[in-house]
This record gives sequence, C-alpha cells and structure tokens, in this order.
Amino acid sequence: MDFLDRYRDIVPDWEAFRAVQFRPLISTARINTLKIGRDVLLERLAEQGLDCRPFQWYPLGLKLDVESPGKLLETLLGFIHIQEELSMVPPLLLDPQPGERILDLCASPGSKTTQISAMMENRGLVIANEPSLARVAALRSNCERLGAMNVAITRYDGRNFPRGLFHRVLVDAPCSAEGRERRGAGVIARGSCQRSLDLQALQIGLLKSALRLTVPGGVVVYSTCTYSPEENEMVVQAALDAEESSGAHLEKVKTPGLRECPGLEEWKATIFSPQMRFAARYYPHINDTGGFFVAKIVKS
Amino acid sequence: MSPRSSRARNVFEPLDRDAVAEIWNSRFAIPESVFSGYNFFRKARSIWAISDSELPGLSYEAIGMRIMNCKDRPWKPTTCALQVFGPYAEKNTMHLQAASARLFMEGKTQEVDAVTAEQCESGYVVVFYRGDVLGCGLYSHGKLVSQIPKERRLPGKEGEDIS
Ligand SMILES: C[S@@+](CC[C@H](N)C(=O)[O-])C[C@H]1O[C@@H](n2cnc3c(N)ncnc32)[C@H](O)[C@@H]1O
Repeated sequence: MDFLDRYRDIVPDWEAFRAVQFRPLISTARINTLKIGRDVLLERLAEQGLDCRPFQWYPLGLKLDVESPGKLLETLLGFIHIQEELSMVPPLLLDPQPGERILDLCASPGSKTTQISAMMENRGLVIANEPSLARVAALRSNCERLGAMNVAITRYDGRNFPRGLFHRVLVDAPCSAEGRERRGAGVIARGSCQRSLDLQALQIGLLKSALRLTVPGGVVVYSTCTYSPEENEMVVQAALDAEESSGAHLEKVKTPGLRECPGLEEWKATIFSPQMRFAARYYPHINDTGGFFVAKIVKS
Repeated sequence: MSPRSSRARNVFEPLDRDAVAEIWNSRFAIPESVFSGYNFFRKARSIWAISDSELPGLSYEAIGMRIMNCKDRPWKPTTCALQVFGPYAEKNTMHLQAASARLFMEGKTQEVDAVTAEQCESGYVVVFYRGDVLGCGLYSHGKLVSQIPKERRLPGKEGEDIS
C-alpha cells in the first residue's frame, strides 16, 4: 500500500503497472542534428559495437544500453544528448518552426530547449527561462555542448515573466515526478496528495502566464512526469476556465508509434471539460517508458 | 575591446560583427562570411554569439554561446565556439591521431611532432580528430596543452602527462 494506490481506478492493467516499477529503464539519448547527421552517428556507434536501437516512433531517439552514456565521446562532443524517451514528446507537439519566437518557461537542464533549438535549425529565438541560479549552470552547459546558438537564458519566476509575445510556449512544469520511479526508487515514497496540491497552485500560475504570453492562434504545451490529476487535468482545466473569455481549446495529442491513454474526464468530485480526453497520459507498462502527462492548448 | 564602463556594469552590450569576424579571421583564417548569421555581445570580458533575430527587452542571464574570453592576452576561444566555427579554420589547426586525441580529451598535456604542428604558430589552436573539432588547445614549442573544460573530459587513466 503506498501513494500510487489512489490511482488504482484510473490506470489500466494495474498489476502490470505495479510490476513495471521494479524494472529499471535503460538509458535513452537523442541525436543532436545541430552537430551530426543521423546516419553518420549511427555508424559511429555501431563501429564501437555499442548496443543502440532507434525508437520505433522517433528516428532521432535511441535506446542506448551502455554503462555510462554520459562519458561517451559522442556525448562529450554534443553529438547525442542523454534524455528520457517521453521527454522528447513535448517539443514534437510544440512543433516549433525555424524563425519563430519560442518560450521554454521551465527550462533547466535544457533537454527540451535544445531539442526545440535543433528543430528550428538554430534559426529564430528560444528564450529558455529558469529561475534557479544553481540550475542555470546545467542549462547553459547543455546549450553550449549541443551547439544551440539561438537560445537566450532568463531567470524570471515563470508566473511573472514580464513580456512576450511568443508563437509557442512550453510549460514543462516542476512536479512530483511520480513517473520517474523506474529511474531510482524513492520518488513515490515522497509523494502525497498534499504535495501535489501545493505544486498545483504554482503549475496553474505558470500555465496561465504561458497563455498570456502566447500570440492568438499560438500553441502552449503543458507537460509533467507525474500521474497526479491534481497536477495535470486540474491544472489544465483551471487555465482553460480562466481563459474562457478569450478562448483556448485542447488539440488531440497523438504520437504515431506510442500508445496514449486519454486525459481523465473526472477525478474525485471534479468533472472536467469533455475535451480533456484530448490530453495524453503515458503509463510506464504500456510503452516501456517512464510516466508522463501532456496537453496541447491552442489559443484562439 | 574593453571599456571599463561595461565591465563594471556587467551588462550585455552589442558588438560590431565585423570586428569579431576580423579577430577570428586573423588567428584562424575563418572566412568572415561564416559569422554573418550571428549577432555578438560583450559582457565583462567575454564575448557571446547568438543567431540573428530580434531580442525582446528582457533581463538576460546568457545570450547565445560564450565564444571567447578577452581577459588575458592573447584572447582565448571557447571549446564550444571552436566546435561551431573551427571547421572553417584554415590555419592554426592541428589533426591528431587516435592515441593523442584520447589524451587531449582527457585534458592532458602532450608533445606533438613537427608534422602535426606544421600549420601552427604558438597560441590557441583548433584541435581535430577524424574531421571533428575536439576543442581548443594551447600550442607552444612542440607542446600541446588541452583546454577541454573539466566536465567535457573523457575519464582518464591515472598517471602523468606524456610530455
Ligand atoms: C521538470 S523541470 C524542467 C526540465 C526541462 N524542461 C528539460 O526538459 O530539461 C522543471 C523546472 O522548473 C523550474 N521552476 C521551478 N519553479 C519555477 C517557476 N516559478 N518558474 C519557472 N520555472 C520554475 C525548476 O527549477 C526546474 O528546473
């Protein structure tokens, strides 16, 4: 009996979900097209006899079964970046275009910032915002190693980010990280409904701020690596409600090759908007990944 | 290059692109056109480069990549900047073989022969291996000192530098 038990009614195939928590994940990496082509990189890894398999659903993602992937020459030179498999989903949904202006509101350590920058082929501008001075160092270091040349870093509290406007905004929010249990036990032990509610206020503030900073017709992607509806559907609902006068709607999250579960239609006493099913829940036993939530909001 | 006012205020000040391009061109013979897609800024004694686009009026912690440090003479290019601009260099470049490339990536100092150092004057050089830029080295009198930052080094074997 632990904190996850409260999700028994929403997670499909509960036994498999519980069992998978004890199976560690193997490392994954993203090929950094700012510095190397995919074929050349795959050839280099194969030459060294490294066990590496591209994802089914994303040609730039790799399962990399090696001891310290962070110490590979390819990592040190910025040809690849060690990044969780599902962490590569939000930038793809955000779909940044070369030349646009993008805001990554909660950016460190910059896995998604640098993926966005690569998708933009270093053209246009990414503002990577991260209030924590300690965490800015990792963000800067990753941008530099990966050769992201169109990124500027700011340090605002995302809720009070002063001015925009941006074509697209990513809110990869601070969360209780329940979906990271397979990376190291203990995450779940620290979880609680109260903790999620405390984070919720911050998350709603961040998402509202993102919508304020987005151009009409622009896109906001909200993501967490947690199961808690308090930090997911309830946050999205609150932002949609606040946006009611100006208008914003969810667009269906569908990544070919990955299996999504729909966002919840209700939780405890709360009924969500019917469009909440367009958001996606990823459970670890379904795609053999971590756990993740993502919603794509289009501002009218 | 370093008016006291900006150093004291510690803010990003726009720099003339041609001036930066000329400095890099004189040391590395990098065509000035390589720099045309970037804007440059100075903060204290560092110079930064970012892809050309309009910057909104915000308070910035970093603007693009730190490409060089002008604190000492001669100015020093960063390893990450050489990985971007170094492939276009036509002088002060050095191509290493596997064993010396490894030592270089471990952060070690080593001796290099005259043939390897053929195109190098004393000072900072672009170090290559198999066509890729590894980073910045300091060359003088037959010796190459790796400037690879600590967190970018290959874990080394215990022991002395080969010099
Ligand atoms: C889940 S992590 C982001 C991971 C990152 N997007 C990536 O892909 O590498 C959440 C980040 O939000 C930052 N954060 C915390 N409070 C914040 C706030 N009020 N505004 C903006 N960011 C905040 C945290 O310091 C943390 O670095």
